[in-house]
Amino acid sequence: MNSILLAIIAVFIILILYDMRIFIRNKEPAKVYVLYFFLMGAGLIVSLLLAAGIRPVAPSRLIEAVFKMIGIAK
Amino acid sequence: MGKTRISGLQLFMLLSGFLFGSTVILAPALGAKNDAWLAIIIGGTGGALLMLIYAAISLLNPSKTLVEILKEKMGKVLGSIIAVLYIWYFIHLASLVFRDFGEFICTVTFPETPMTVLISIFALGVVYGVNGGVEVMGRMGELLVPIIPTFILIVSVSLITVNDFTAFLPVLENGMGPVLKAALSYITFPFGETVAFLMLFPNLNRKEKLKKIVFVSAALSALISIVIFFRDISVLGSDLMSRVTFVPHSTTLLFPEANVEPLVDINLMIGGGAKIGVCIYAATKAISQVAGIENYTNLTRAVGAFCVVLSVWDFENVLDLFSWTERIYSYYAITFQVIIPLILLVLSLIKRSKPAEGSDADNEGVIASK
Repeated sequence: MNSILLAIIAVFIILILYDMRIFIRNKEPAKVYVLYFFLMGAGLIVSLLLAAGIRPVAPSRLIEAVFKMIGIAK
Repeated sequence: MGKTRISGLQLFMLLSGFLFGSTVILAPALGAKNDAWLAIIIGGTGGALLMLIYAAISLLNPSKTLVEILKEKMGKVLGSIIAVLYIWYFIHLASLVFRDFGEFICTVTFPETPMTVLISIFALGVVYGVNGGVEVMGRMGELLVPIIPTFILIVSVSLITVNDFTAFLPVLENGMGPVLKAALSYITFPFGETVAFLMLFPNLNRKEKLKKIVFVSAALSALISIVIFFRDISVLGSDLMSRVTFVPHSTTLLFPEANVEPLVDINLMIGGGAKIGVCIYAATKAISQVAGIENYTNLTRAVGAFCVVLSVWDFENVLDLFSWTERIYSYYAITFQVIIPLILLVLSLIKRSKPAEGSDADNEGVIASK
């Protein structure tokens, strides 16, 4: 595992631990955890893929494809 | 939790900072080349009208955010679906500004530092500000945004000796087509992006000032864009201006006997920071209102982290970013900036002209109780 991947994982772990401390202290409802882990999980997975040299289809490309399909953009 | 309030001046500064945003490094309406000043005037007028529509929507639905208005006017299901699309748009917009910032700083100031590191450090500061709430953002705007026009004025006045004041001639050499196209892109970037402020307008302490604040900030932004255009074209010339990536930066490089590049960096940090801050605030507030979460600050760090990742993921390089923005962004943004707000305005006007059932009885009850 290269150093970039480790750095990304470390940053995300620090952020998650920091926020979990606040969530547990404030007794936040389950939906906060669900939304939080959805956003952080998506961010972590994409950044690990990017660091590994795999670029998933970018949202901008999907948006472009939709507009091309409709016939608005060339 | 009580609703935080911001003053008219604070909202004006936030709006102005938002409108300066990335435009301090990317000269707007450049597609019209020599006639960009005409495109700025037309686009600025259209942009001011669009912002007045947003203000009208907010005034017709007092104390309601965009999500609440959507849910009320379009029903809970459809309103929530459109709100989720807006959440995506605000996150995407923040990531686009992050990328502009990263590309500029990486190209110009710190070429050896990885862009991800620069964007992440910038994001830390912005998310910290957003966590403080609207009041903190307003105060930061009040303190920092006046620096932007001051620096622009310093650079513009100082370059007055190296100007060719006829560089913008001839007028309308290529007809009105490119001017209108550039005007449309100037409406969507940056004026239409202020749709994010529909999440902030309810926090204004004096609602009667809203239209005035919105109009003055739009007019000021257009005026400063015209000043920047005439400065840049007079210094660089039309040909060079159409070739360089970051036009205002190239202009500052020609500053005689001084290095004023950092002034552009500072302007970008303030304007970009205000814009990203408002977008992240709008996105997290909207998420919390759609999901029924009381405290939006629980999600600011997660949204900020996702924006950083998205900014790196979305485009392979700066040319890819500019190409997509030029070809697709206007079409993509127009749905969020024009079509849905216009529908909301019409629905709000219809609702106002048709008082809700039972309102007469309620009024009678009030009168009777008096």
